Amino acid sequence: MKVRVKLFGILGQRFPGYHHEQGMEVEIPDGARVKDLLAHLEILKSFGGVVAVEGKLLAEDARLENGAEVNIFQSVFGG
Amino acid sequence: MKFLKVDMSTKSVNVEDVPQEYMGLGGRGLTSIMINAEVPATCDPLGPENKLIVAPGVLSGTSLVNTSRVSIGAKSPLTGTIKESNAGGTVAAALGHLGITAIIFENQAPDGELYIFRIDENGDASLITAQEYKGMGTYALSEKLLETYGEKSSVLCIGPAGEQKLTAASIQTTDVDGRPCRAAGRGGLGAVMGSKGLKAIVVDQRGKSADAIADPEAFKEAAKAFAKAVKEHPFTGQMLPALGTAGMVAPVNSMGAFPTLNATQGVMEGWEKISGEALAKVIQERGGNPSHMGCAQCIVHCSNEFVDKAGKYVTSSLEYETIWSMGGMTGIDDFDTIAQLDRLCDDIGVDTMDTGVAVAVAMDAGYKNFGDGEAAIEMVEEIGKGTEFGKILGNGAAAIGKHFNHKRVPVVKGQAIAAYDPRAMQGNAVTYATSPMGADHTAGNVVGEYMSRALDPLKPEGQVEASRNTQIAMASVDCTGLCLLASFALTTPEGAEAFLKAMNAKFGTQMGPDDIPALGIRVLKEELDFNRRAGFTAADDRLPQFFYEEALPPHNKVVLISDEEMDSTFDF
Repeated sequence: MKVRVKLFGILGQRFPGYHHEQGMEVEIPDGARVKDLLAHLEILKSFGGVVAVEGKLLAEDARLENGAEVNIFQSVFGG
Repeated sequence: MKFLKVDMSTKSVNVEDVPQEYMGLGGRGLTSIMINAEVPATCDPLGPENKLIVAPGVLSGTSLVNTSRVSIGAKSPLTGTIKESNAGGTVAAALGHLGITAIIFENQAPDGELYIFRIDENGDASLITAQEYKGMGTYALSEKLLETYGEKSSVLCIGPAGEQKLTAASIQTTDVDGRPCRAAGRGGLGAVMGSKGLKAIVVDQRGKSADAIADPEAFKEAAKAFAKAVKEHPFTGQMLPALGTAGMVAPVNSMGAFPTLNATQGVMEGWEKISGEALAKVIQERGGNPSHMGCAQCIVHCSNEFVDKAGKYVTSSLEYETIWSMGGMTGIDDFDTIAQLDRLCDDIGVDTMDTGVAVAVAMDAGYKNFGDGEAAIEMVEEIGKGTEFGKILGNGAAAIGKHFNHKRVPVVKGQAIAAYDPRAMQGNAVTYATSPMGADHTAGNVVGEYMSRALDPLKPEGQVEASRNTQIAMASVDCTGLCLLASFALTTPEGAEAFLKAMNAKFGTQMGPDDIPALGIRVLKEELDFNRRAGFTAADDRLPQFFYEEALPPHNKVVLISDEEMDSTFDF
């Protein structure tokens, strides 16, 4: 399945050619979970990868759906 | 370790050793404990009985990184509660270098008189008449003061709003480049300063009489380890230097928790136009600086210098909270307008948060249309001009809400909320409602718990405990001079250990990990005691009714924390 990923913070810098306005399409196995997507993108937990879909933060074990618009950002603590 | 006590009525300045009961205290701990002990809780905040206390943190002026927060305390004319508001810049380090634990301003100058309080490099202090600066904006004032007293000076000052004693007036302070763009913004402390007849405090940065460090070698080692922890933390070492606090726009919108159009929506349509990513790009393209050092001793560099299309400096630093209050809340989605509003607020000397929320409430009440940037600028300019409407707006969101008899006024104890909607972050509902300071995100922001998925932001369970713990932690951190942002390095074992070692090396103590929160609990208890004696009860620890009744899209939630749960927040 395919999901559209937008990367925030400095995550985009890790992917040469990434255009923030468009985001990028990522192909992952059907039924993949959040942790599978992060592993596929090599975003380590220690780097603080947080995934949100439709305004909700997802747990690592949450399943993603085909065509989902996925925002990934670094963990933040306040501003 | 000395106090400078300034009597504004007699114009006398007394230097005193720090009394035993205040030994070892600094920052918020000192301001709050002293206010509770010495300021009558029921006094008029703008009357002679109130005191204005300026206190660097206990570590300010040392070599420990990011310890340049100065706490300013008084009874607040905005909330009627005890208040501590802290700011960055250079003045905390300058006071630390002079071994000054606090400056305490008492009584008031006669009406119409205006003074500057100056401390030279030897620590000698004096009051100087400042009639020629009456009505001056903080930018022109700071430039004049630095010309007069030398570039190696730190300035704390008020603009026209503080002189008018408006209850959203800020105290501005200069950054490392001498610009008055850092603010102790919250709670109307600029009005207290104005009520004293004090226009500015100027402190020479070249002092060489800092308090001794008990174990300098151990301190040096701990400071090195702490700096490493700050640099290695993904938030303080990577994201903040790249995007600043504006990097919060994406995650908070992605969680549906960005109060938009006067808190009627949780996601701003087109928020990517005012995201941290977009801000860094615009600043870079125009030749500004997206990763600027704003405060002494800072290694995070979360500040930025926003420039206009011609590359000319407009403001520093364009922060998340201002982007939200002047952008998200008002529906204004262009940086040039938001930056101009930020500059205006800094120059007039008003809190960008309360002022932005006040503009949004006025728009929601139908006074102007949401998204009308020109109207927002004209409204804020009226504060500086001292028009009747400007006076209402400059008294903050609560005052403008009363003026329009509007039903949706997002304030607690008279102070505007911050950029986290309490319906989509239930823990921040607890903090807004119960903080002794009124609605205040820096008093205990729970967002980090949600990011780590330790807590579901939309459910009531666990929120009171999370708020309690963060409020205790922040009350402790605010005593030290450590910047809130750098304090997130304390969430790593290495950072926490290094910081504790630095504290012990500074004081020659053997504090353990539990002693730091114990300090926070002590401070909160003193603050709550003051508020209770000022007449506040549990009934004041509530959010405005609309937060319990109007569901916030996209999650369509209201605040779910019961009154009983709210009232258990400070069961310690």
